[in-house]
Amino acid sequence: MIAQRVTRVYCPVCLQRFKFVEGWKEGDLVICPICGQKLRLEKTLEGWVGTRPEKGSEKEIRERSDEFARIRGYKFNEMKEDVLEGLLGKNKLFGDFYCPCRMMHVPEYQCPCQPTRGGDVEVNGKCYCGFFWRKDLGTIDPPPRP
Amino acid sequence: MADSNSKTKPMVYALSTCPYCKRTKRFLDTHKIEYDFVDVDLLEDSKQDEALDKLEKMTGKRSFPVVIIGKEIIVGHDEEKLKKALKL
Repeated sequence: MIAQRVTRVYCPVCLQRFKFVEGWKEGDLVICPICGQKLRLEKTLEGWVGTRPEKGSEKEIRERSDEFARIRGYKFNEMKEDVLEGLLGKNKLFGDFYCPCRMMHVPEYQCPCQPTRGGDVEVNGKCYCGFFWRKDLGTIDPPPRP
Repeated sequence: MADSNSKTKPMVYALSTCPYCKRTKRFLDTHKIEYDFVDVDLLEDSKQDEALDKLEKMTGKRSFPVVIIGKEIIVGHDEEKLKKALKL
């Protein structure tokens, strides 16, 4: 038996493909369920892709981080605004919202970074930056990082 | 004022975007500690490599901030360690 092919949408932030929901149409705004990015749906020859309607803006990174926290059930602490300031600095200096606490400016470290998307918060209670926190833990400030 | 402070100025290796690095600098400013610093991410490539190699040898990782106070090396923003090293 041949498995039915699932239609997917490519997210340019986390570089993953997520499931296309029946009823979506070109131009719709959707949220990437993997990284929280707001995307406008576009149909291309290669399939469905999402584009970033507010690319590089403060609104974009605020919404993305809020959505990611909502999807995963994470919380923020009082470092939130400081980390957002760092993310805006990264965008200004290096062209996108890379992790402000790391040296590297590569897609893997686009916020929320790959380790965070991969479950670092569940394991360590927080992401590398102390931006996203597990809800069942306290948020001690500032956490000395390993 | 702290003894160590009068002998050697603390050296802070930071990233310009890192909120913990900013807190460390703010802590030193608040306590009126004179220090030198370098934002490693803003260095030109060759100097950046040099600084990263040096930090990796010292700390075994590429984590920021790194504060050097005399022989003490403090990785991450840690006010207790800073106070102890600076005898505050």
